[in-house]
Parts: sequence; structure tokens; C-alpha cells
Amino acid sequence: MLPRTLLATGLRDLLRRPLHTALLVLGVALGVAVVVAIDLAGDSARRAFARSADAVVGRATHVVLGGPSGVPVAAYRDLRRHESVQAAAPVVEATAVSDTLGRSAVRLLGVDPIAEGPFRDHLGGGSLRAPGFGRLFTEPRGAVLSATLARRHGLGPGDALSLRVDDRRLELRVLGLIETAPDRAAALDGLVLLDVGVAQELLGRGDRLTRIDLILAPGASPAAIAAGLGPGLRVAPASEQAETAIQLTEAFHLNLGALSLLALVVGMFLIYNTITFSVVQRRAVFGTLRLLGATPRQVFALILVEAAAAAAVGTLAGEALGYVLGQGAVRLVTRTINDLYFVLAVGDVPLTAGVALPGALLGLGAALLAALPPALEASRVEPIAALRPSTYESHARRLLPRLASAGALLALGGGALLAVTDGVPAAFGALFAIVLGVALAVPLLTATFAARAAAPMGRVAGALGRIAARTVERSVGRTGVAVAALTTAVSVTVGVSLMIASFRATVVNWLELTIRADLYVGAPSGGGVRATPAIDPQLPARLAALPGVEAIETIRRVRIASEVGEIALGASDLGAAGAGLYRFAAGSDPDPWARVEQGALIVSEPFAHRHRLAPRGASVLLQTDRGRVRFPVAGVFYDYSTEEGLVLMGRATYERHFEDRAVSSIALHAAPGVDLDALASQVREAATGRALLVTDNRSLKREAMRVFDRTFAVTHALRLLAVVVAFVGVWSALMALHAERTRELATLQALGLTPGLLRRLGLLESGLMGALAGLLSLPLGALLAAILVDVINVRSFGWTMELRLEPGLFVQALAVSLAASLLATVYPLWRLSRREVAAALRQE
Amino acid sequence: MPALIRFDRVSKTYPEGDAPRVVLREASAEVAAGEIVAIRGRSGSGKSTLLNLVAGLDSPTSGDVWLGDVAVNRLSPRERTLLRRDRMGFVFQFFNLIPTLRVLENVVLPAELAGRGPRAARERALALLDRVGLASRADAFPDRLSGGEQQRVALARALVMDPPLVLADEPTGNLDDHAGEVVMQLLDEMTRAAGKTLLLVTHSREVAARADRVLTIEDGHLVAPR
Repeated sequence: MLPRTLLATGLRDLLRRPLHTALLVLGVALGVAVVVAIDLAGDSARRAFARSADAVVGRATHVVLGGPSGVPVAAYRDLRRHESVQAAAPVVEATAVSDTLGRSAVRLLGVDPIAEGPFRDHLGGGSLRAPGFGRLFTEPRGAVLSATLARRHGLGPGDALSLRVDDRRLELRVLGLIETAPDRAAALDGLVLLDVGVAQELLGRGDRLTRIDLILAPGASPAAIAAGLGPGLRVAPASEQAETAIQLTEAFHLNLGALSLLALVVGMFLIYNTITFSVVQRRAVFGTLRLLGATPRQVFALILVEAAAAAAVGTLAGEALGYVLGQGAVRLVTRTINDLYFVLAVGDVPLTAGVALPGALLGLGAALLAALPPALEASRVEPIAALRPSTYESHARRLLPRLASAGALLALGGGALLAVTDGVPAAFGALFAIVLGVALAVPLLTATFAARAAAPMGRVAGALGRIAARTVERSVGRTGVAVAALTTAVSVTVGVSLMIASFRATVVNWLELTIRADLYVGAPSGGGVRATPAIDPQLPARLAALPGVEAIETIRRVRIASEVGEIALGASDLGAAGAGLYRFAAGSDPDPWARVEQGALIVSEPFAHRHRLAPRGASVLLQTDRGRVRFPVAGVFYDYSTEEGLVLMGRATYERHFEDRAVSSIALHAAPGVDLDALASQVREAATGRALLVTDNRSLKREAMRVFDRTFAVTHALRLLAVVVAFVGVWSALMALHAERTRELATLQALGLTPGLLRRLGLLESGLMGALAGLLSLPLGALLAAILVDVINVRSFGWTMELRLEPGLFVQALAVSLAASLLATVYPLWRLSRREVAAALRQE
Repeated sequence: MPALIRFDRVSKTYPEGDAPRVVLREASAEVAAGEIVAIRGRSGSGKSTLLNLVAGLDSPTSGDVWLGDVAVNRLSPRERTLLRRDRMGFVFQFFNLIPTLRVLENVVLPAELAGRGPRAARERALALLDRVGLASRADAFPDRLSGGEQQRVALARALVMDPPLVLADEPTGNLDDHAGEVVMQLLDEMTRAAGKTLLLVTHSREVAARADRVLTIEDGHLVAPR
């Protein structure tokens, strides 16, 4: 327990140095804000997903699922009479794009209002008394939607609602609005309810359902129920699909979270620098306290209490700022989830304890960790040494080799961790260990380089050049930490930029290889790769007959059950023409497409990685409409369309095992010399009455790259923040440096150093620091990129890509480093220029 | 009177380039309890070193420094901290008040660090501030006080634990003549009246004249001036 008066010395010191305290608070606040914002976005997306999954699944314990063509209604009739089934409800579900609802994707849910009662409360707790709801039975094109969604788009009962599902346009009428408590409104946001029969008819599903929801009697055996349903149907736990979907985004969230921790690490440099400076400035005070009887432990505790007090304010500010930034981050994250994973509407972004508490603990923990070295430093000083200035720098210089050795060990440990583990968190742990390890060695490198730079800088800039280089070397306790912070921020920026550039180049190559037809016809569905829009199976033949069409290819994308859970399956009619469409991994069959024609599968790299399949000799058990069938795997192809992975089979094989005959997209090859615009018009004409998109080769590639760039938008913001924190780090270091050298600089001024020369000296010092940080960040950035590309990307998503060391990015990094450093000099130099030289000369 | 401080063949050498600098050479001397002793010498002769050795802030290269029956240089760092806290008061040339504490808090601080009850510590601190004429400034921060006033606060702080020994390093070195005279007057009266031992380092002949005895450091030895 600290005596009250001792406590007052520390806390009042924070108030007496508002600039220092502000820097301390800022270091914590920025770090916490970024962590909270990213966590908030992820948490809100996860909760919104869970709520909407709950809204759709309701109180069902199990679901009956079929193949791509769904579940026959006959199964529903059987199940209603089954003794183990307490309740059953038929469901037709589809993803629709609505022009009336701002071109957003919505979930269409066809339900039986009478069977719904035990499952879902959408219809006002089963009440059909509300005006319009009862007409769901009788109105052939009636729909009910959430009041929030309707109001957002100015819709009310009686209004027309236009939807596109698969290749169909649906013109519906709003029968009623579902009013719910505000906390449940978000779950229903993006949901349009129809009668199940109406949905079947409008979507052309015939007598098929998407699924049957069940509430099973306690002790009932799902396997026994499934056995009585026929070969193509299975009974799965109700939560299975939601769990599969949410698992898909885990790697995405983990990567984002790791990047957000970076800002906190850079913030720690700032905290360390500021507290160290405050300790150095108050050595006489601590010396006096020790003389008066304060124990080393009390001095140690005093500094930690100060750090904790500033960190508490910083954490509060960081939580508030994180909440504000989080609103923007949610939009970016939700857009990426909608692009890549599934339809999601995030209604509210509340700062829950689950987000705020870890953010606060991280902020306080990081601040205390960063304060430990200066606290130890202050507590270990003998009272006599505390009364003498400049012992810190001599001590700091003595520490440099030890710090660098510890850093080397930490980095080597990181390397070893990378080598012996295969998980993603371990890979990020290793990455952080390597970054921190190198950062610990940076002060020694700074001192060494700066010492070597004195002579050449002297030749170029005379005495000022020598003074600048020697100042950076002599005050390495201060400058080294600033250079380390800047090196860390810039190297991570370089690493992430190189990774994105490599990824981008790989995707561009892949698109060139795979998007080779002239025109593409598809249904404009939302929902990313999980959407499986169906196009009329007669259309391909009609398009093939158009004049100017040389060849067509079709692909059917569906989601089916397998021994490894629900997977994405593609059925392609390419046959031998597929050769050259994909690059195959080493070890694949020499002619995989020939094997595909014979009934084998090829799997994408992420699929093989996720389920640990070898390129040859492996097999996958799929649930087909004819029962469970094991297919051999003929090869692993490189594909960047989905991290979930994709399984491809031949169209003939697909039609042998599944009843579904729809296609999801059609690729057209035009004959040589054919005008593509004219051909596109003919295609649109042939598809009149269908909601289809006709896209040319170049637009499709452009759209793919637009989604790619959007996915990484959030990383740009994070990298920028890291550089801002590093900038503040350099700024605080320069302020500290100038404060420590008050008399020295004043003496130089008294000897004739003009304001212009003083500015030049300041710029030379910070320029040297910026150049050092820039140079050091290049190899470290390249190393980080290699780890991100070759280890973390492969472990997170299963994607192999070629590392591209783009020279332009290195030049950019050097420029950013120098610019941040030089800009950070502006205010400290301005302050210096306003100081009275005579007063500064008198300062002890 | 029994000796409170005893230097027993104390040597102190500082490493300085290739040739170490010898400050004290087997210096021996005694200071009796209740005695006021001034130490004089040229700049760099080792006056402050002597004070630091008594306070346990520095250790002799050889020999022992005794405070009563305790060899200060043989104590652990923690024991030295406690010895300083309980048995010594300090007055410095630059006052060394804690800038973030008010005048009264500065005086109370040593008592609080020693775990004394806050009420008793406060009463004693107020009495001492009254004695140095600064009771009315108890709530001011040090930077609102003149140099002479700050040194009077430092004097009150040095005596708050009622230590048997007061160490003063150039207590008037940073003050004008009048303020220096006032401080020395108080230092003299308050230590002498309470029977405390005062060991003070000074350049000033006038300050030294107040002492019972003057010791000079010459060529590393402690001698009485001729």
C-alpha cells in the first residue's frame, strides 16, 4: 500500500505535465480503440448472424435436408405422423435480391402459418389476428416482412414488393408488417415471409421443400428417423448449418483481430517512451524520495500506479473512440461477409461487456507491461545516482547488447514456433515474437548506425551533421525506442502491403486463367459463395443455338452434405475442354479432367488443406440423392473463389447422382469476329422474362477485383493507424530529447546557432531516425510478408500464392518513414524556437 | 560526549580514466553526539563524498563509517534506507522539495513513509512549519515560495522524524546573504536546542563560524584547520 502523500506526488505529476499525460493517454486510447473497433465489428456480425439463424431455425431441434433439389413434400406428410416427432414445419428458403429494398439481399422464407406456432414467433407469437396475416393463405402473391425493414424503405401494407430469386422476377404485395420488440427487430431484418405453397409455386420448386424443421421427442433417434426417409435425405441438428457458416468466418476474424493488436503493440512503444522520459526527468524527485525513506518497491509501485491511472483514462477514451470507429468497421466487415460468406444484416452495434472488458484489460495490461522497464529502472537506482543526471543514458547504452540478445532469442523462438506448430494462433504468436525480437535489437542497431553516420553526415552537413548523428547515438535510450516503434509500424505496413500485392497478383493470374469465355450469364443473387442460384435448365440449349455462339459451358453450384459436413459442390460440363482452366498442385493426376469425365472429383486447394486430402489417392464421401457415395479425388486445383473450398465433378456424374437439372451460370464463347455487344443483346433477348445478368469477360474480372480490394479496405485503415501511433512515438521522443538537451541547445544558440540552423539540426536528427527506421523496416517487412504469404495465409485459408517483392512498396515505406519522422519534428522545433535562451541556459 | 559518527581509516577512490582519483586516504575522525561540525575544502576535495558516506549513499573503498555502533557501509541497501529514514535528516543546496506536493505534505512525507500516524505527523509538521515561520504557507506548492522559504521547508522536513543526526550539503549555497543567514540561524537553533548532531558541508566562512568545530579535507585527510 502506498502512503497517501507518495501517491499524491505521482498523480499530481500527471496533472502537471498535461502534454506527457496526453501522450500516455493517447498511446493507450489509440491501441484500445482499434482493438475494440475490430472486436466490436466481429462481435456484432457474429451476434447478428446468431440472431438471424435463431430467427430462421427457431425452436427446431433438428432439420431434414435433401440434396440440391430439396426435400419432397411427401416426407413432410410422413414425418407429421411419426411417433418420435413432436412437431414438424415445412420451409422453403431462398436468397433474393430486392430492387424495392435498395438492391439489398434478403432471405425469403416460405412457411406454413399453422405449423409455425411451435417453431417461430415471427407472426406475432403465432397470432394471425393481426390485419393481413391471415391472408397469407389466400393471397397468391402476398408477403409479410419486418416493420423495421419496411419502414427503412418506406413500405407499408398494400405496397408492391419486387424481388429477384434465381432467374425469376417476383412481384409481391405486402400483406402485413411484423412488429417486434427492438431487441428482436435486428433478427428479423432482411427476412421476407411467404406461405410455403406460394413460395413453392413462385420459385418453381414443384413439390419440393428446402427443409423440414422438426422438434423431436426426448430420446428420439435422428438416425432411425432418417432411415425411414429414403436415400437422399438426412436428419441433422438444427444448429449444424449455422455452425458451418460461422466457422467459415473464424479465420477472417482471427486475421483481423491480429492486425488490430498491432496498433496496441505500437501504442506500447509510445507508453514506454513517455513513462521512461517522465522517470528520467524526475530522477531528482525519486532520489529525494529514496533519501527520505521510500523503498525501491514503493518507487516501483508509484510509477505503475501513475501508468495505471493514465491507462484507465486512456482505456475509457479508447473504448469511446473504439465504439465510434466500430460503427465504420462494422460496415466494412459486414460488406466483406456479404461479399464472401453469407447474407447478413447488422442492425445494432452495442458495446457489450464481452467486447469492452477484453479491450480494457488489454489496454491496462499493455500500459503496465510497457511501464515495467522504466518502473524497474527507477526503483533500482541508488539514491546517490538518482541525484546525478545522465546516468540513464549510460545505463541504457549498457543495456543495448543485452536487449539485442534477448531480441535475437525471442525472434529465434518465434522462428522455432513457426517450424514446430501448424495452427494459426501459433503462427501469429510467432509473428509477434519476431517483430518484438527485432524491435528489441533496433536500439543497438540505431546506436551502431548513427555512430557510423557521424563522419559522412559531417562531410555533407558539417558540424551540425556530426552533432545530429552523435545525438541520435548518445541519446539512444530515447531515439532507439522511437526508431523501434517506427520500424515496427512501417515494417508491418510493408509486410501487409506485400502480402496483399502478392495475393492480388495471384488472383489476377487466376482470373486470367479461369475467366476465358466472352460472356457470362448468371442470376444476380446476394449471399456470396454460399448462394446457389438456379437458372432454367432449358436456357443453355437456347443460348447455344444463337448465331455467333461457338461453344457454351455451364456450371451448377450447390451445397450438399458430406462426411466432412456441408460443402460447396460444382458440376461442370467442361469435360476435356477443362484442360488448362486451372493449375493443379504437384501430385495431381496427369490428366485430371479425363478422370473427372470418368466420375472422379477434383478439389480446390483450400478444400484439400482444410480436410487434409492428398492430391492423389484420396476420396470424399458425398450425400447424393441416391444415397451416400464415395468419389475418388483426381487432383487438387488452385482456386481463390472461396476459402471454404470447392469440389468439382463432371455434369454427367452430377446428373447420375442428383435429380437437380438447373445450372447456376453459363459461359459463352463467341465465334471469331462476332460483335460481343450485339451477342449480349441477343442473349438478353433469349432470356426475356428472366432476371439474369449478362456480363462480359472484362467486367466480370473487374467486379472480382473490386470485391478483392473491398475485402482489404479495413487493413488500409489499420495500417494507417499504426503509422499514426508511430508518428506520435517519434514526436514524443523528440520532445523528450529537446527537453533533456535544453542547456546544450541553448548553449549552441548562445554560440551563434541561428533559428534556421537549429531547425536544420532538428531535421537532420529526425531525418536520420526516419531513414534508419525505413531501412530497417525493409528486410523485416519482407520477412513478415513471407510469413503472411507462406505460413499464415496457407494455415488460415489454404491458399498458396507467390510472394512478390514489389520495389515500389519498399520506396513507399522509406518515404512514409522519413515523412512521419520529419513531420514529427515540426511542433518540437516550433516550441524550441519560442524558448528564451537565457532562461534555458540557467536550467539545471 | 560519546561519538555519534566515526570515520575509521576511510579511503575513497573513483575510477577516472587510467589513473584512479583518490578523494580520501585513510581518513579518520569523530563527531560527538550533539556537536555541530562544518566540513570545508576546495572544490572536488571530497566534502560531499564524506556526507554521502555517512548517509550510506556511497560506500568507502576501504575502512568503515560508524553511526553509533553501526557500520553504515556494512548494511544492506534496505537497512541503509531505513537508517536514513529513521535517524537522519537532510538539507540540500537545491532544496529538493517534491514539486507535486504542498508544503505541509512535503514535511509530512518522511513520517508517512515511516508509517507514522497521519494525525501525529501532521501536528508535528505544522509545529515545525510554525517554528520556521511558514505555517501560513502550508497549502502552497513549493514553486510559489522563495528560495529561502523553500530551504526553511526543507529544514522542517529534515526534522520531522526527530532524527539524532542532520546532514546539510551547502544549505546556503543557493541563497542570498539574508536568506542564508535566516536559514543558518534556524538550523543552528533548532538542532542545537534539540541536542542533535549537525554535519554540514560549506564553502562559506560565516556559516562555518557557527559550528562548534571545523574539519578540512586536505590531500585526502580530515584535519582541523591551522
